[in-house]
Amino acid sequence: MRRDVVSKIAPAPTAASLAEAFTARLLFLSSMALLLAFPFLGANEFTVTLLTEGLIFGIWAMSLDLLAGFTGLMSFGHASGLGLGAYTAGYFAQHVTSEFLIALPAAEIVVAVLAVLLGVVVGRISGVAFAIVTLAISQVLLQIGIAWLPVTGGMDGLIGVPVPTLFGYKLESGESFYLIVAVILILVYLALVRLANSPFGHTLQAIRLSEQRAAAIGINVRLHKCAIFVVSWLVAAIAGTLLVFMKGGTTPMVFNWYQSGYVLAVTMFGGLGTLLGPLVGAIIVTFLHDQAISLFKAWQFVFGLAFVLAVIFFPAGIAGIAIRTWNRLWESRC
Amino acid sequence: MDYNFLFVVALNGLVYGSFLLLPTLGLSMVFGLARIVNFAHGQLYALGAYFTVELIRLLGSYWSAVLVSPLLMVLFAVGLERLAIAPIRDRTEIYTLPVTFGLGLMIVGGIEQCWGTAAVLVSAPAPLQGSVTVLGNEYPTYRLVAAALSLIITSTVFAVVQWSSIGLQIRAVADDREMAAAIGVNTDYLITMVFGSAAGFAALAGALGAPIFTVNLGTGSSVLLDSFLAVILGGLGYLPGSAVGAFIIALAKNIGSAYLSDWSIAVIFGVVGLTLVIRPQGVLGRGRVA
Repeated sequence: MRRDVVSKIAPAPTAASLAEAFTARLLFLSSMALLLAFPFLGANEFTVTLLTEGLIFGIWAMSLDLLAGFTGLMSFGHASGLGLGAYTAGYFAQHVTSEFLIALPAAEIVVAVLAVLLGVVVGRISGVAFAIVTLAISQVLLQIGIAWLPVTGGMDGLIGVPVPTLFGYKLESGESFYLIVAVILILVYLALVRLANSPFGHTLQAIRLSEQRAAAIGINVRLHKCAIFVVSWLVAAIAGTLLVFMKGGTTPMVFNWYQSGYVLAVTMFGGLGTLLGPLVGAIIVTFLHDQAISLFKAWQFVFGLAFVLAVIFFPAGIAGIAIRTWNRLWESRC
Repeated sequence: MDYNFLFVVALNGLVYGSFLLLPTLGLSMVFGLARIVNFAHGQLYALGAYFTVELIRLLGSYWSAVLVSPLLMVLFAVGLERLAIAPIRDRTEIYTLPVTFGLGLMIVGGIEQCWGTAAVLVSAPAPLQGSVTVLGNEYPTYRLVAAALSLIITSTVFAVVQWSSIGLQIRAVADDREMAAAIGVNTDYLITMVFGSAAGFAALAGALGAPIFTVNLGTGSSVLLDSFLAVILGGLGYLPGSAVGAFIIALAKNIGSAYLSDWSIAVIFGVVGLTLVIRPQGVLGRGRVA
């Protein structure tokens, strides 16, 4: 129905715009194919592991993009969803079963319950208050992780989380786990693009532009903010689940507020509100980090500097630069 | 119940509170005046302490290091503000968060490069190394002297904000930046100066506190979180509230961790987070800043 209205207003597609859309789709499909085929193209084991980490980080960054990019809620405690997912999935795998397709939903249910409870509270606030309250939430979780010894293992964290299985098949090799991560990443990405282009996604954009105006035209702002908070945590918990299986454990430091700042930095560096930007940004930063720590001790200095410069001079991130180049390319051609 | 133990723990809390006052007031003032959420503030405190370590080596005297370190920090912070924060002044205040976070990372990286990851120890100046008896408990003299100094400096800051003409300008800008600019206050200059002096006070606290609290890479982060809690409890930008908040947080942290171990900090964060949701102007705030 909505689509009909749009098609009546929108001009008929020209040959040039069709060609542009076709090229974009071709590029997207080929990069997805490349992503899936990556471990079989002769990459060594270490690179595959690093890319696995980068993709998990990418899922996490995309989940933050829902809040920070689409809704304008800059969370400074986004380690919460990731850590909570990691802890619940890890605990479940240790005590019940390490079957991936059971451990993941189990973690999601726990995270969903908590996210709804907290979402009702944080849905009331925005701006700096939202940033600080989310930071406080992650700090509370960090302290619980340290203090609740019998369940969380205290400072040592969860150790020895078993290797995940899929339909009884043990995902022992790096390649098989990589494939799971890559498939989940693609599914999450497609789902989030759909979400962003849905009426719900557009409503979030309206809230970002002005909460008052959105409320004035009848949008239930608190409900939408609460809903996207829950969705964002659920996606972050997927990343957390993958992370705990990849590392075979987790420590309370997963909730550290530096982690939250770090993922926010990467998301902004990639380009807020673009999904693909934060994903690519996360992969780039993972590889850069690996290179940088072997080159100089003060990796944080370089990362901080790059981040400050990016926020000041390229507020649209690498996605912004890519989009500008893409548009220029098509303007000059046609 | 061991009252002597409780007394010493509470005294430790009060001492820590009087140190927390300086970074807390700076954080509160910078937010109230310039709408800058300074996530690098704790690192400025830590850097002040590291400067002191280096200056003691260079100058040979503890007290001259305590004097010079904040001055260096003021210069450093003014440069930082001009280069990194002034360019984003026209954007929403939320953008100051990621930028100052990045600056904080840079400082941590710099500290790691220059001083390594090991904790740094500074010994108290010789005449104050002993201890005095307070209600039957031995207590280090230096702690009491340094806490008193910190309290005196804080009172001076309050006096300046309350009664001097520059304080009047600061309050005017905090109240309504455009109006203050319209009647001839140089807001840009004032913001830079207040940012610089807030950093100087944080560094001073770091310098005075260096012999009491060990200084390591985590110091900045923990000071930042504590002063943030204090500022929120007292009301963002409301100075008397922030001061009371600093003592509440310091006492709650010391007494709580002595009796409830790790759970206490979770409770403190939970309470403060809820405060911000239910009463955004803070428990003590009156809905206006500075």
